[in-house]
Amino acid sequence: MADYAISYADLSNIYNALSTVNGNISTVNSNIGTLSDVQQVLANKQEVMEIELQNFMKVFAEFVETDAKLKNLQLAETRVGNLRQELQLKFGYYSEIRRMATGILQGVDSGIVGNETIKSTTEEVMLKAPGYWLAPALVALASWIRDDKSTCDKALTESLKRDDYKSTLFFMLLTRRVGRNEASLTWLERYFTHQNPHDLDREFITVLEAVTTGVFHPASRTLMMKYVKSWLNELVQGDTFINEQKKQWLKFFEAFRPPLHSDKYPLLKQYAKNWVTLESSLRDVNTNEILHGHFNSIISSSYDFSSSTKVKLDEILNQLVTNFDDEELPLQKKVRLNQLIIEKDGDKDSAQSVMDAEENIYKEKVDFLQMLTNAAFDPESAGVTKLTQSLAVSISQPWIIEAHDTFTAQCRKRYPQIIELVIDGFASTTKNGSDEKEQILKQESFYKSEIEKELKKVEFPLSTVLIGSLIGLVGLVLILTSFIIGLLGFGIGGVMIWNSINNVNKKKEQVRIKLEERKKKAKEVLRGCLAETVDYQKEISTEDSKAEKVRLLLKTITPQDFSSVSQDTARNLI
Amino acid sequence: MKNMGKIIFKTDDAQLKLNSDQRSQLQSGFRSERDILKKRSAKYVRIFSSLDTKSLTEVQGWNKLMQQVHEEFGTAELKSLPIGIVSKCFLGESYEVHILDLSAAQIIKHFKLNEAMPSDYEKARTLALHNAYAFVEVYTDKVIVIREDGSAIKI
Repeated sequence: MADYAISYADLSNIYNALSTVNGNISTVNSNIGTLSDVQQVLANKQEVMEIELQNFMKVFAEFVETDAKLKNLQLAETRVGNLRQELQLKFGYYSEIRRMATGILQGVDSGIVGNETIKSTTEEVMLKAPGYWLAPALVALASWIRDDKSTCDKALTESLKRDDYKSTLFFMLLTRRVGRNEASLTWLERYFTHQNPHDLDREFITVLEAVTTGVFHPASRTLMMKYVKSWLNELVQGDTFINEQKKQWLKFFEAFRPPLHSDKYPLLKQYAKNWVTLESSLRDVNTNEILHGHFNSIISSSYDFSSSTKVKLDEILNQLVTNFDDEELPLQKKVRLNQLIIEKDGDKDSAQSVMDAEENIYKEKVDFLQMLTNAAFDPESAGVTKLTQSLAVSISQPWIIEAHDTFTAQCRKRYPQIIELVIDGFASTTKNGSDEKEQILKQESFYKSEIEKELKKVEFPLSTVLIGSLIGLVGLVLILTSFIIGLLGFGIGGVMIWNSINNVNKKKEQVRIKLEERKKKAKEVLRGCLAETVDYQKEISTEDSKAEKVRLLLKTITPQDFSSVSQDTARNLI
Repeated sequence: MKNMGKIIFKTDDAQLKLNSDQRSQLQSGFRSERDILKKRSAKYVRIFSSLDTKSLTEVQGWNKLMQQVHEEFGTAELKSLPIGIVSKCFLGESYEVHILDLSAAQIIKHFKLNEAMPSDYEKARTLALHNAYAFVEVYTDKVIVIREDGSAIKI
């Protein structure tokens, strides 16, 4: 008994203890609940923070970029200033000498500047610009004017030592200007003898320009042609040089591809599966007329000989004495890059890409073929007139034709032979759109089968008809016992059958009407597509034939067409 | 500009001369592309653009044809000769082009409109059909289009 009582007391304790544990567990649970709420709040906060952080990162990145650009801009502005200062410091007198050279030439012409003035000024620049070829050249010129042979010889030697090419070119142009033909020819010969067609200097284009525009005696031109011919023979022997030019010309032609007037063939655009190819071919053929115009303008503009020889000579001399010297070029390039950075608001990359594109202008040396290509593509950037552009085109003619032939053949290879039409599920191909009758027949048979297919889909209401028949049959049996009910049953069964069959017929009619409507519309579209196909193929063939016209035009361009000298002295170069 | 003087006074300047590597490159280039693009003779163009298919059924006809090919390409290696020639077919309206297989097979095969040609030749089809071109020479690695005047265009 006592054991029993103890056992009760013990159990109550255990119960109590369990209750406490239970209570505690509840508390823990509720705490966990609170904690999970807190966690949820924290998670939300974290999400918000992440978004804010991302926004911040974005803003920060933008800030860094803007800051970098700003710094680039500031740096570029400072650098341009410094570089210009350096240019002024190192080559400041170069520009002064350049101005003086033009001045002396004009002064001598007008006879208003005294020999003494010319002498003292030229000797002064000699001291101020050590290393610049134009300084001793001016001294030589001044001493030549006053018949001081010994000074002239010394200055000439110095000038040639400093820059043989430019001095040679300078005196070549100068002697021609004052009518010393023999001396001019000797200078020209000297100039050509040491040219390397693989590695021509920038100013060679000036000589080409001078000889082409007829500022020299015809004999000089003959001389030049002799060299040009031998260079061409050398350069066109291998694939390397000529292929490079062909590649560039091919790119040049491709760059002329015009955008398409998008509304010209609206139906083909919508229904031709191969519209992308069709459109691309249209752009291809439309290039021909533009190319014809381009080359035609080069040829026709070349007959403008209005400006006198003297003006041309002065222009060329002016170019020669005013262009940057090679020594200045590295600095001038840096100035240009920094100017571009400023123009692009501190965007170094885009400035560099513009600079790269301009690189050819700054390219100090090029091979003869590249020089011709540069002059032919963009005479302004190459520093030549339209006349030299024409000469360059005429000399480059053989590989321009090769490149044009390749361009044309590539385009022709792409011309689609068939037009793939898909109209309302009806797919067909046509070559030139002239097969309307066959196409319409094909389309009709397509719709015929479509109608059949759709009609098959309309199901016969078998169950309703069966039930109707059954009710009718029952009605018929009942007529014998109860006439009215039997008649009613028979009537209901009949109406049910009649209705369901009528509904099916109506549905079928609807299907037919709908498809007929589709067919009618599709037929119009097909006719329209075929008409557009006829026009399209007509345009392709008309425009394509213009490629042959371009070829004929290119064939007629020969070097002798572009010389200011008379035809009888001109030589056929190639 | 400083090196201008150098060219005048040091005539052995490296720039004036091509080094042997460049020279050999130019030479090998000359053999490959300039040769393949040389203008085809009028006789060659005539024979291949107006082909009398009947004559080809005879062995002699093929021999003549192959002789003309060798004459045209001189001493060129066999692998640098065209594997075949694709030109317009005048057999009838349904026929479009034909292939003159110049390889060992030496057969002429005519193709109808929409009839597929072997893949090597298919790329020449559109150009062969164009009126501006007389025929197309198909090589293992390229296609050369020949105009009526004999000029060759590499594609």
